[in-house]
Formats: sequence, C-alpha cells, structure tokens
Amino acid sequence: MTVILGLDTATGDTSVAACEGESVLAEVQIGPGANGRPQHAAALLAAIERVAASAGGWERIDELAVGVGPGSFTGVRIGVATARGLAQARGLPLRAIHTTDALLVALAAGADPERDLLAVLDARRGELYAALQRSGSPVPGDPGLATPDALPELAQGLTAPIAAGDGAIRFRGELEAIGVEVAADADPVHRISAAGLCIAARRVQPQRAEDVKPLYLRKPDAELWRERDGRN
Amino acid sequence: MSGPILAIETSCDDTCAAVVDGPRALSNVISSQASLHERYGGVVPEVASRHHVELVNGVVEAALAEAGCGLADIEAFAVTTNPGLIGALLIGVSTAKALAASARKPLIPVDHLLGHIAAAYLDPEPAEPPLLALIASGGHTLLAAAEERDGFEVLGQTLDDAAGEALDKGARLLGLGYPGGPAIQRQAAGGNPDAFSFPVAMSRDPGLDFSFSGLKTALVYIAEELGPDAVLGRRADLAAGYEAAVVGQLIAKLGRAIERREPATVVLGGGVAANTLLRRRAAELCEQRGVRLKLVPVELCTDNAAMIGSAARFLERIPYPDYLHLDATPSARSAA
Ligand SMILES: [Zn+2]
Repeated sequence: MTVILGLDTATGDTSVAACEGESVLAEVQIGPGANGRPQHAAALLAAIERVAASAGGWERIDELAVGVGPGSFTGVRIGVATARGLAQARGLPLRAIHTTDALLVALAAGADPERDLLAVLDARRGELYAALQRSGSPVPGDPGLATPDALPELAQGLTAPIAAGDGAIRFRGELEAIGVEVAADADPVHRISAAGLCIAARRVQPQRAEDVKPLYLRKPDAELWRERDGRN
Repeated sequence: MSGPILAIETSCDDTCAAVVDGPRALSNVISSQASLHERYGGVVPEVASRHHVELVNGVVEAALAEAGCGLADIEAFAVTTNPGLIGALLIGVSTAKALAASARKPLIPVDHLLGHIAAAYLDPEPAEPPLLALIASGGHTLLAAAEERDGFEVLGQTLDDAAGEALDKGARLLGLGYPGGPAIQRQAAGGNPDAFSFPVAMSRDPGLDFSFSGLKTALVYIAEELGPDAVLGRRADLAAGYEAAVVGQLIAKLGRAIERREPATVVLGGGVAANTLLRRRAAELCEQRGVRLKLVPVELCTDNAAMIGSAARFLERIPYPDYLHLDATPSARSAA
C-alpha cells in the first residue's frame, strides 16, 4: 500500500507523519517554542527526516502531502516550500490538502457519524477560517474566511455540531452560545495531526510540485490598502 | 573541494538561482518581480514572499537546465540566510535545505552583502583581495574592506535610506517610474546637474557613513517652491542635480576610504553600480589615485544567485544533517 509522508505548518504546530493507508508509521508534533512562536523553520526538516527514518527510510516513502492552509502565511510557505523542494529533489508526487481537512479527519474519527463537523482556525485580527463537513458526506467543505458574527448563520441547521481547531478554542464562547460543542482546550483534537492530513490526502490527486500553492484566503495588506485608496 | 554549487537567493523581490563552478557562473537565472511591486511604489514583503514560493522551483529548474546539469551533479547547495526580508529569505532557505538534505549534500549559508562583494570574484577577470568595495543598491549602501574572500569589514553604511532607495524616492517625487535609478538616469541625461543646488550631505563628516534623507528633503522643498508645473518643465535639471548629489556622496566617501586604506583594487557593485554617472566618476577617481577599478558586470550587480554561489566557494560547508535546524536569521551561521 502507498506510504505517504505528510506535513503541516499552518498553525503553531509543526506536524509530520508517515502513514500506510490508515495506519500511522511515525508521527512528530512540535508545539511553539518557549517564546510562544512556532518553530516551523528550525524544526520542520529535522522532523521530516526523523519521520522518514522511523517509517523505514526514504525508500519506503511513495508520496508527499502538504497542508496548504489556511493559516499563518509564513508558516504555510515554509511547509509548501519544503514539500515542493523535497518533491522536486526526490521526484515524488505531491498532494495539496487544506489544513482544515486534517482537523475534520480527526473530528470524524472520534465523533458520532450523525454529527456535523466544523473545523475552525484562528485567522488573527478577530477573524477565523472555517470548514464544514456534514454528517454522511465523505467530502469536507472548502474553508472560508469569516468573522465570528457569521458563526450563527454558519451553524444554522447543523446536527449536533462539534468544532475543533485553535479557532474553536479562541471562539469557544461564540460557538457554545449557538450550540456548537467544543472539546476541552487540552484535547489533542484541536491540534493539526499530520496523520489526519495523510488520510485526507488520499481523497485528492497528486500534482506537479510547482503547481502546489498556499491557500491564503486573504489578500496582502498592501493590496487591500491599494484597493481601498482606489489607487492603481 | 570543487564541483558545481547550486545557489538560491530570495532575500528581497527577485527569485534567483544559479550554478557556479569555480569562478565560472554556469547559469544565473533571475525572475524579477519589479513590475509587480511597481504599483505599490516599493517592495511589499508579503507580495514578494507569495511570488517567491511559487517561482523558486521553476527558477532552480531553469538554472540547472541552463548549466546543463541535474541535481545529482551538484556538490553543495548555497543560500542567502541574511540580511533581508525574513519571510522572503525563508522561502530560499526552506527550499535549499530540502534540496540539500534530499541529496545528503552540504549546505552553505551566505550573507547577502558578502555575496555582492563576491560577485567580483567571478569571471571575467576576477578581483583579488585585499580590496575595497562600494556596494550600492535599493536595499543597501556599504563601503567595505575585504582582506580575504571569506569575509569583509564594514567601513561605512547608510544611516537612513539606501542609495537606490534615495533614487526611488526622488523618482517618485518627480513623478518618474519605479525602480527610480534607471528612471532618474534617463531623465537626467538631458538635464543640467548644476541648475539646482543640492546639499552634498555628510561631506564635512569625517566618517565613512552615508546619509541620503537630507537630499530627499531638499528635493521636496525645491519642488514645493517651484510648483507642480515648473517641476514638470524642469524635471531633467532636477533629476540631473539629484542624481549628481547621490553619486557625489558615494564618490566622496569612496575617495576618503581609498585615502585611508590605500587598496590596490576597488570593487563597484550593487544595483546602483549600473548607473552610468557613478561608473564614470568611480573610473575617474580610481585612475587619479592609481587604483584598479573592478566594475562588477551589470547582470551580477542587481540581486542574483551567482554572487551567492561565488561567496559560498570560500565559506565553510555545513555537512548533512547538521543544517537541518538552520533558520533564516542573522544568527543563522552560529546556530547551525
Ligand atoms: Zn542586494
């Protein structure tokens, strides 16, 4: 069976795993450093090498998968640049996965199949990235950028919804007020598991490395200012 | 310890890769984003980073193809780790680390400014240290002495704007295009540099540091006094005077540094070194002082990766896996 090495650096975590089908061969998850900042740049490649070695060496890795966001712009770019470099050098196929898909996989694994699932990431500036997976649907929804005011509309008509992600923690009050369950802050379901990413990766087609791009969902500030000022 | 080095440079707005073998640049590919940043009137870090990550692998591929080799032929990988836009640097560093680690080959972190100096160590007619280097670009203005090829001593730097930045800002005030250097030069060609008096800033300061902000202020005042119509009518004279003042300061400090260090060779590099007036005045100065002037070829003056590969030849190689934790910070080298 295909062995996939997956990585994600869209949140504060640096997550890497190797999976053969649904079985996890190796997994590493490194949280932010003592200063509270993500350790993507320093930790990612070493974690990848460690996971590849634990999974039986690079000879066993058939494909790569990378979380393309949404999330921290710089974090996502470190992950995407590293994945593209590895794919280019090793001639491996690369699959691009929404970071929210990894959360939805983890949620689905622990929740009643009747429940609707919500992945919520902290987009900073008081906003959030959210993706929905309806019960019974094997396909997760695409993530979108939203303000917390939009949550009631988003959650309308959902069946016993449950949310996970750093944004679910950040907006716990708003979510619980509209009947969305959020697991305890320390629950691992809130963190991006690269194993979940590898499992989600099986649903998408591999791409050429240079076609894999970050998913930002937000324009650069300079572009927003330019549009607002009406300058050309 | 020779063999081709693949170098990557993404410290600002150009995505660059090159293959260097000894003093020969086998390829030097630059994907410029200048036209993208033009609409913002300057480099926007987030926009630069977004483009680097999309372009870098294709640029590496092109550099390899142009050099007629594959990744398997590369002996070591070099990358700019500092100084620069942190988010932009990280794209090059992440890519170079991934490529090097996949091949189990060494990685060489390179200081961008050393790269600008090391452009002079490439063919044709490579310069030999000890030498004095004036590096002027949109991002930096540096007067440095190099005793050996693996480093340099800073003699003077800008206290405010970089020389190229001063030209950009001047061009913007005069309603010319971006980047400002070439725009000012074109406009200045038909102008009289003595029509307006610009302060030759720092000329009485005995140090070797530069300052260009006073010059920009002087231009603002002159423009205010003239009014928009007269500015438009006298753009050539204004551009010529402004350009001469920027170049004048660079030459004054260079002359002073030559007096103090008595170098055999002076290297002129960086994007602003493409300026014709600067080249001519530097040539006159060096001839007067009996110093050899090494003009870095124009294609190696603006940011490029061949200069990074050139610098890497003389630097320590970090073997696999010791660079896996390498970060793009000024302390990158000691942290490795
Ligand atoms: Zn430069």
